[in-house]
Amino acid sequence: MSIRRNALLAAIGLTSALALTISGCAGTGGTEAPASSGQGDIPSDTEGTVRILMESVPDTDIVVDLVDSFNEEYPGIAVEIETLGFDQMRDKLIASFQSSEPTYDLIVVDNPWMDDFVDAGFLQPLDDRITTTTDYAAEDFFQPLVDITEVDGVRYGVPFYNYALGYLYRTDLYEEAGLSVPSTLDELVANSQALTTSERTGIAMQPQRGYKIFEEWANWLFAAGGSIYDESGAPTLNTPEAQAALEAYIEAFTTAAPANSSNWAFDEAFRSVSGDQSAAMISYNWNLPGLNDPEGASGDLAGSFALAPMPGGKQVLGSWSWAIPANSAASDAAWAFAAWITSTEVDVERVVAGGAAIRESTLTDPTVLESGFGEDYYAAIIEILSDAAPLSQGLGGEEMIQAVGTELSEAVAGTKTVEQALADAQAAVERIQR
Amino acid sequence: MTRMTRFRWGMLAPVLAITGVAVGFPLGYAFYLSLTDYRLTSRGAPDVVGLENYFFVLTDPRMWNAFSNTATYVIIAVALQTLLGLAIALALQKQQWARDLTRAMLLAPMFITPIAVGLTFRFLLNDQLGALPAMLRSLGIDYDFFGPGNALFTLALMDVWQWTPFMVLLLLAGLESVPRQPLEAAKVDGASAWYAFRRVVLPLLTPVLTVAVLLRSLDALKVFEYVYATTRGGPGTETETIQYFTYQTGIQFFRLGEASAVAFVLLAIVLTLIVLLFRRLQRSAAR
Amino acid sequence: MTRRVSPWGIARTLLLWAAAVTVAFPIIWVALASFKSPAQLNDPGLFLFSPNLDNWARVFEAGILDAAGRSAFVAAVTVSISVVAGSMGAYAISAYKAGGSATRFGILAAQVLPPAVLVFPFLTMAYALRIDNTYVPIIFAHLSFVLPVITWFLIGFFDAVPRSLEEQARVDGFSRFAAFRLVVIPQVLPGIGAAAIFGFTLSWNDMFYGLILAPTRETILPVAIAAFNTFRGVELGAMSAAIIIAVVPVVIASFFIQRRLVQGISGGAVKF
Repeated sequence: MSIRRNALLAAIGLTSALALTISGCAGTGGTEAPASSGQGDIPSDTEGTVRILMESVPDTDIVVDLVDSFNEEYPGIAVEIETLGFDQMRDKLIASFQSSEPTYDLIVVDNPWMDDFVDAGFLQPLDDRITTTTDYAAEDFFQPLVDITEVDGVRYGVPFYNYALGYLYRTDLYEEAGLSVPSTLDELVANSQALTTSERTGIAMQPQRGYKIFEEWANWLFAAGGSIYDESGAPTLNTPEAQAALEAYIEAFTTAAPANSSNWAFDEAFRSVSGDQSAAMISYNWNLPGLNDPEGASGDLAGSFALAPMPGGKQVLGSWSWAIPANSAASDAAWAFAAWITSTEVDVERVVAGGAAIRESTLTDPTVLESGFGEDYYAAIIEILSDAAPLSQGLGGEEMIQAVGTELSEAVAGTKTVEQALADAQAAVERIQR
Repeated sequence: MTRMTRFRWGMLAPVLAITGVAVGFPLGYAFYLSLTDYRLTSRGAPDVVGLENYFFVLTDPRMWNAFSNTATYVIIAVALQTLLGLAIALALQKQQWARDLTRAMLLAPMFITPIAVGLTFRFLLNDQLGALPAMLRSLGIDYDFFGPGNALFTLALMDVWQWTPFMVLLLLAGLESVPRQPLEAAKVDGASAWYAFRRVVLPLLTPVLTVAVLLRSLDALKVFEYVYATTRGGPGTETETIQYFTYQTGIQFFRLGEASAVAFVLLAIVLTLIVLLFRRLQRSAAR
Repeated sequence: MTRRVSPWGIARTLLLWAAAVTVAFPIIWVALASFKSPAQLNDPGLFLFSPNLDNWARVFEAGILDAAGRSAFVAAVTVSISVVAGSMGAYAISAYKAGGSATRFGILAAQVLPPAVLVFPFLTMAYALRIDNTYVPIIFAHLSFVLPVITWFLIGFFDAVPRSLEEQARVDGFSRFAAFRLVVIPQVLPGIGAAAIFGFTLSWNDMFYGLILAPTRETILPVAIAAFNTFRGVELGAMSAAIIIAVVPVVIASFFIQRRLVQGISGGAVKF
């Protein structure tokens, strides 16, 4: 009896599986190509709906707030923005590509995904639109941000916002200790140790396994004079510079970072700094306005934070770009919105509202300097964005970042030696590149 | 076909049909994917590569590490839940005062979505932001909840917090169905409470315990949210569980074919364990 | 006459208090956090402060009640289908000994398959049948783990019903199905209730399927809660408020149903 029943179950399962697999493949096979002009200048009487999937971050809120003024110029285009947390958004985005039916008309792409998405044919090339948009001034974007949107010489996106890192520190504590902002890796370690007291640690670190630790440590690597890739694109993670950087990182972690913080990520570190428990952190440049906001988490400490480039001047760059998916149902309307929000005039508005920088001219614009978050802040950002590099290049970016981040975490946890961890990281990246 | 067989199949039909679609199809499709080089970034039909994915994952030390982490997690979590659950169920059974309130309260953790439990504990156990380390420190204890060697144990404790109520629920039900007679007979014979528990209650409770342990183990094998919310598999790969590993491989790294192969290796192992367990139970029941 | 306090009695009371404190502490901590300002959240030792309702306003604005409503809807539909189909199937398996005990455990094994692997087959199916952006895919995904568990639970309940009851009903002129529906089902009603609540919990707690399969712009509760974990940090205050909103109704409900739940399960599900 039981055998017969099981056989039947299996048969039902297999038949339905087979039938649906075939129809399923057929469903994902072709992409419908909705009408699109491919041109840059979109007439203001264009009609349509632009469905956008975005990450729920303040930069998105600023974009949402600007939709009304977009509609003054393009009354016929409805903009529908769906926001989700980072990982959810990513999972949902990839799921949406599997559909032949258009799901989103405009998306934002994080830099490690760019090459994979382009390779898979998920994104539309934007070169023609960019060059034919009147007064777009594409050369005004910070070059490192543009580099991220470019795959094999073709641009598939325009910058949305940067998340380059920098050194965020308490000016009052630096003054009290008679220190100046570190200019070498050794000074970074020494300053962090000097700022460590019984009430407070010198630097809140983010050694959580995976993305976080690599994103933080790579700044130390640059400060040590190292790099992630060489000119030819081969990884350079097993070098004397990398070793010095990892040793310094571990030294700072054990002597100048909060106790028991080996799973810390951005959140914990930010709270530690804003809660007067740590004197500094290495994080995204746009955290400064948040730290200095009296309504925010720092309370009375607001106003005593400042931003500086990493010692040595080079830092890790992250960047979100606007891109139009291949299965977008409203490419023209989508470009109208992307071009409008990244235009020189609107960018000033966006940055004044607290949006992260993408254009050089915006950061020297008188309106921004007057009503923004202070000249020093923008000067530091210009410096940061002129020398910054992303964590990954080429295909498999996400996997490469996770693999390196795992090895670094092993070294910090003490389960691998520094040499072993770096050799394994190097090997892992070489394997992923193959 | 007799009327009886027709009735029997008629009764089975809805559950078979739904299971066919809801379980059979994804299972069959995932099995097909496990034989291909399918990536989420590939378009059109993937190439069939036979057992290549299986050979690859079976020789991947990361997968075996994830398996052993998961097994450790399940054993610690379920063992603690069973002991605590049994103790609490015994205590609750005798309790008179505020009975419904206590029980309702003790069951609450089950109804909190695991991702929220993970995030709550991430901060509750944080050395600077959390209330628990602050209290421990005032007692002179310094404990690194998510540090090397401790993190997996901490995750298991989160599971204990959330799912001991489930054990309590099942065991309480089991205790209520234990007949009074043998217990009273044991008391008349002058047996100690412990002796009565061990010789009378526990044997009667064995079926319930088996079911509870099995259900919890299968569910604990699916641990994902806690890892995702707190350690992301670190330090190193100490808390990389099988679900987190398949999530990374299949979705973050796009290699769904390979991830499907991992899933079927897991299924094979779990099925084998269940069959072995079942054989033993049958044998001990026959004795 | 004074009642002697036994050491067992003391141990029992202590254990229950310890359990209550352990369960309540994180929940109270979350409840407090939901009334804290961002700066106050940095201070774990802060128990007395002037509460502020910003977080609550934020989560209500974010539509947390709608999300809870959608979750309840998905769970209710999933459980209803599971109870009807599951009780019929379970009865057939129990009364006619369809399938050995190994099958009964085998039903559960598919549970261990990672959602990360199963979710894309579901998605492909949804796209192929043009039912994406409806609640059908997520309900089917939830059925994949709720239906087996409910069926499996119910087999035990039906095992506990004496066959003579049904035979008597047949003698009295009931059809097989009528005997099942009118005589057997009432016997196992508490058990069905228990199984339904358990199934509801499973569906209510699932985040992963909900994330990818739920219709666009119609997030379910766990996804809405997870969304407070953002790139710029976890919005602890708002998330805490959302958690409390998700927990309070079920705790109140469990106050009323827990006794039936215990009775229901003790009716016989827990046999193998």
